[in-house]
Amino acid sequence: MAPDAAKAVLEVQNLKKYYPLSAGLLRREVGYVKAVDDISFTIPPRKTLGLVGESGCGKTTAAHTIMRGREPTGGTVIFHDRQLGAVDLAKADKDTLFQVRRNMQMIFQDPQSSLNPRMTLLDIIGEPLIIYKIAKGAELVDRVALLLQHVGLRPEYMRRFPHAFSGGQRQRIGIARALALNPQFIIADEPTSALDVSIQAQTLNLLQDLQDEFSLSYLFIAHDLSVVEHISDFVAVMYVGKIVERADTERLYHRPKHPYTEALLSSIPRPDPAIQKRRVPIRGELPNPANPPTGCYFHPRCPYAEAICAEEEPPLEEIVPGHVAACHFADRLSLRGVNDF
Amino acid sequence: MHPNLLEITDLKTHFFTEGGVVPAVDGVSLQIRRGGALGLLGESGCGKSVTGFSILRLVRPPGEIVGGAIRYYGRDTINGEELTALDARSEELRQLRGAEIAMIFQEPMTSLDPLFSVGDQIMEAILYHQDVSKAEARKIALEMLDKARMPQPAQVINQYPHQLSGGMRQRVMIAMALSCEPQLLIADEPTTALDVTTEAQILELMRELQDELGMAILFITHDLGVIAEMAEEVAVMYLGKVVERSDIQSLFAEPQHPYTRALMQSIPKVGQKAPGRLEAIRGMVPSQRSIPSGCPFHPRCASFIADVCDVKTPRLREIKPGHSVSCFLYEDGGGINGA
Repeated sequence: MAPDAAKAVLEVQNLKKYYPLSAGLLRREVGYVKAVDDISFTIPPRKTLGLVGESGCGKTTAAHTIMRGREPTGGTVIFHDRQLGAVDLAKADKDTLFQVRRNMQMIFQDPQSSLNPRMTLLDIIGEPLIIYKIAKGAELVDRVALLLQHVGLRPEYMRRFPHAFSGGQRQRIGIARALALNPQFIIADEPTSALDVSIQAQTLNLLQDLQDEFSLSYLFIAHDLSVVEHISDFVAVMYVGKIVERADTERLYHRPKHPYTEALLSSIPRPDPAIQKRRVPIRGELPNPANPPTGCYFHPRCPYAEAICAEEEPPLEEIVPGHVAACHFADRLSLRGVNDF
Repeated sequence: MHPNLLEITDLKTHFFTEGGVVPAVDGVSLQIRRGGALGLLGESGCGKSVTGFSILRLVRPPGEIVGGAIRYYGRDTINGEELTALDARSEELRQLRGAEIAMIFQEPMTSLDPLFSVGDQIMEAILYHQDVSKAEARKIALEMLDKARMPQPAQVINQYPHQLSGGMRQRVMIAMALSCEPQLLIADEPTTALDVTTEAQILELMRELQDELGMAILFITHDLGVIAEMAEEVAVMYLGKVVERSDIQSLFAEPQHPYTRALMQSIPKVGQKAPGRLEAIRGMVPSQRSIPSGCPFHPRCASFIADVCDVKTPRLREIKPGHSVSCFLYEDGGGINGA
């Protein structure tokens, strides 16, 4: 995934988001929580990058920083806008951000708290169209009706409020709102985590159908590795603010190069009682991001760690084209893929 | 000795709300063998948690057990005791809860008291149920934390819940639940709120402890992966009813009920990525206030038989040894003479 303007919708380079830690009476800065620590990736048009990692790894902060919902500490976020061309979101001014945000939208985990309970579906889905002065009056109603149809909801429902809908339907409302301005790129942050099993499949299908129909690119953030494998073309694994491995989905799941990825894959509960699993014994707990371990952040939990791992931070290096991993022994270890446990 | 530890027969737990009666559990029958692991699988609102609460008689108004029997063979191992006949606030039940039947929940933070140290909370149960001194109780608490593979138990015992991670809190809950060596552990989505590596650790811990202590587990979950790892037998619930019951191997190898099949087909299977769409179940789980007539799954069923499934209610019947299903597809004459 070399940065190439023609082949990318989004290029994130060395993105950082640090939160200062203060102490004492004068709230002196004594350090940082490196919530997002120098991450880079590229998303090509009509493709999906899955971003996985455990809670607190910084994946949601990364999403918000990309959208400039939070000010980045460093790095660039090049978005190839349909109208404006390449824009560095990390430095863009307010007017530019306003323009660019038509083309990049977000879907959230909890459709309960991301929809205003006092607004009807028409208000919720129509709001972006009004803000960008794209439609009003009868035309607005028509467009909202069409959007509702696209996400599989009946247009007759547009005068109703979110509470009248189930969790799965509310997620569809959120998706319709994200689609309203015909964006190029959508960040979906755990979009199916709050949904029942049978509703999850419908929502994933809908997201894939919409991707084909509207040529969308997705940054798909989730902790469910089965869902991420299903929907993603590429996957990046985050651990304590850093991307530790990134590859196309097939390679990452079947030939992982980072011990943390192997540990994640071995932890997935498999819906097949015939599989007698031999787990990679992963010890301990996630480290505190305010006080991470020395060297490789994963070394205290890593079954393959050696002396160097506690001393030196491994760089993210390309192992084969398109597959990067940050491990001192990435080229030496033969790690197990998802079907080898 | 009776082979089963617990037998639930035709349990009905209904909620009498202002909007009408909600039959959360509607005629559920289950058996849990001594030392066995029964999984209760279903989506939200299927009644799996209410079933768990009913066993411990922890259903609060407007909920009420309106029918059926829950027979526990833990103390009187031959004749058993009828739990539904006991007063929910009686001393007998208090002695049973925690000491004989313990429960752990999805979100350990809501079941732990933020104002008391971990040690105090574990000791409370031990002191209530066992005739031991405070010092001895503390010793048992420490042992239990150690059993729950808590890192640095001697330090954790003096800490408060907010100082612990989610996985460690769940270990505290497990230590507490096991402190009186119960015969049955009800685990209600114990790993749903945990990260995948922590989940794997907790599941492994529960399996080891089950072997070690010989207790039975009722494992309540919506996750097909978790159930496959934890249960020996499974009951699949939909809208307050058990629709299929089987040993774990047979359930996954040959799921029979259209709902079970559809559930298994609808999840992405890791390591077997196939291009294209998932086979979703159409529609959604109906509200419990308006449960469909006949078979409650009929509006979403791919094998729906008109004038049968929407009219008559199928019964759970054994189609081969140890595998029961409640569906007209498996009744004689295709359900025409069924029920």
